[in-house]
Amino acid sequence: MAGNKQVVSPLPGVFYRKPSPEEEEFVTEGQKVKPGDVIGIVEVMKSFTEIKSEVEGIVSKFTVESEEVIDVGQVIAEIE
Amino acid sequence: MYLATRYEYGGDEFLFVELSEEMSLEANFTAMAITKKLSEMEIEGIQDICPSNASYMVRIDPDVIKADDLIQELKRIEKSVENLDNVEIQSRLVDVPVLFEDPWTHETVMRFRERHQDPESTDIEYAARINGYDSKEDFIEAMTSSPFLVSMIGFVPGLPFCFQIVPREKAIEVPKYVRPRTFTPERCFGFGGGFSVVYPVDGAGGYQMFGISASPVFDGEQKLPDFQDSMVFPRQGDIFRYRRIDRDEYDSVRNQVENGTFEYRKKDMSFTPAEVLKDPEAFSQMALRRLYND
Amino acid sequence: MIKVLKPGIEATVQDNGRIGYYELGMPPSGAMDKFSYSVGNWLVGNQDGAASLEATYMGPALEFQEDATIALTGGELPPKVNGKSVSMWETLKVKSGDILSFDFVKNGARIYLSVAGGINVPEIMGSRSTYTLCGIGGFEGRSLKEGDTLHIGNDQQDDVKEGTKVSSEFVPQYTKQHEIRVVVGLCSYRLTEHSLQNFLKTEWTVTPEANRVGYRFKGEKVEFIPREQPFGAGSDPSNVVDLGYPVGSIQIPGGVEPIALLNDAVTGGGYVTVATITSTDLNRIAQTKTNEKVKFESVTLNQALEERNAHRSNLSKIKDSIQQQQ
Repeated sequence: MAGNKQVVSPLPGVFYRKPSPEEEEFVTEGQKVKPGDVIGIVEVMKSFTEIKSEVEGIVSKFTVESEEVIDVGQVIAEIE
Repeated sequence: MYLATRYEYGGDEFLFVELSEEMSLEANFTAMAITKKLSEMEIEGIQDICPSNASYMVRIDPDVIKADDLIQELKRIEKSVENLDNVEIQSRLVDVPVLFEDPWTHETVMRFRERHQDPESTDIEYAARINGYDSKEDFIEAMTSSPFLVSMIGFVPGLPFCFQIVPREKAIEVPKYVRPRTFTPERCFGFGGGFSVVYPVDGAGGYQMFGISASPVFDGEQKLPDFQDSMVFPRQGDIFRYRRIDRDEYDSVRNQVENGTFEYRKKDMSFTPAEVLKDPEAFSQMALRRLYND
Repeated sequence: MIKVLKPGIEATVQDNGRIGYYELGMPPSGAMDKFSYSVGNWLVGNQDGAASLEATYMGPALEFQEDATIALTGGELPPKVNGKSVSMWETLKVKSGDILSFDFVKNGARIYLSVAGGINVPEIMGSRSTYTLCGIGGFEGRSLKEGDTLHIGNDQQDDVKEGTKVSSEFVPQYTKQHEIRVVVGLCSYRLTEHSLQNFLKTEWTVTPEANRVGYRFKGEKVEFIPREQPFGAGSDPSNVVDLGYPVGSIQIPGGVEPIALLNDAVTGGGYVTVATITSTDLNRIAQTKTNEKVKFESVTLNQALEERNAHRSNLSKIKDSIQQQQ
């Protein structure tokens, strides 16, 4: 399919690319993902919410850094 | 006694009254006397009364009662209890079994070293040293040989702030953590400022951590006999004696708690502030005799 | 019955709160935005104090297993029934099998779902509100989970017609900048004059640590007046002898990052509190979210009471207009 699909945060908070500091990143740029694959988590109000891909494709880039405070509706990553 | 009382608005629904900036038995007894009298008066528009250590707070419905009118009433009440002569405190003497330096608290102590004043020591080593005790043993002896007055319930449901009934020069004082912890184990026996506490549930906290109480202060399911009337055990005015126990006794109390049979060793007693203030040490020893012998 | 298909985050059953238990250390809990909560109950004809669902930032997905009258009020988390947008601030009917879900939050932070009859959970100490720290009240003392089933209660007193609306003049507009009115006081004497002025001038940013317990803000460091600490208080200049905290009071541990203590906050502790959010503006702070800006505006008690009366008068106008539409 042509064009990029953006992954958008449904809520504000702190974005993490790893499940915990000691672990590997959920996905890296260039990696293939399927719908339902977790690409990051957002922490807010001491709750952790998984951000999942809704499409199949390749993660072309992350548009926010890990541990960055993000806003609701902010684009986290792009999938081609 | 001289109290420099400050009356402050806490927004439009609260009044905060500070009797003294520093903690003392006098200030606490006065706060107790005022709030007791206030609650007996059943004034319309008062929604909640929160007695605390050297202060108290009242929540009002400002559509029913004006904050400034209530302040006038509170000033009259304060005057009427000024010399604490006619104040009688309904109290319970309670034995609270504490395992000092238990493994669970110790694990937490080690986990949060970087938030502590002295990362090289444990909390109890640090507290013993800055209070001038030669050893942890002497420090534990000081905390367990005189009982504490439950001077406030708060922070979270059932947490007793306890102020030891000793002359001022013997009172223990420790700083709070430099940065509060995100975790404290349930029933942890802690100390901060001039107060010892038992944390009712797991949660954040900033007090130094010395051990763990075998018995609960909060029982949300109200299964234990001491919790039939309230999910919170401590009441302001209670006198708690923290008694050092070993691991065997700890395990045995925990078993009793688990199978629902645990009951605090306790005795009802009433006393007047004057009895305590005249000679805190004599009062403390009398209270211990009452609790364990009579 | 209402089945929880997706829980959202921090969706809890709330009502007017558990008032009168400070002496046990029990915070009031209850709906954070009482304005939206109350109006929601009126839109479905409930008696005051019926329990509603409060959802924050991300709404749940719920399947109604019986016909019901509902209303959605509060922050704008655009609601959908069976995937089709429905209005907020309006009496809606749903049928058995209908699914209620929400889009990403647009404005505000918390939405209230009121159901005719109220959410039926046991009353604990006079309230159905959830207090998650001790696991009491609400639905099993916790936030909703996938698979939970909520029962509808009998707290309805009037039938309200489908399509009954709150006039737009009364619907709050939430932006990303908030002016929150406070009464300065409590232990504000501990702040230097300069710091107190800075506290009121600073545009604070709501951090991700903002929930029903409290909101933490980032901005300027504040300085306390140096002193020899009074006995029993602890050694930090931001420490006081442990005292009671009013709901809405703002403390500044260590002089960094003020925290506004809200409905599920600790009832007391040993940090200097410097101001209290007015009862009216507690409804507004409840609708601010992480990354938004807050300025604290100092008002006198009388101004706070005037504002409270204006707020009351708006509420009764809304109540009247709902009745007039019947």
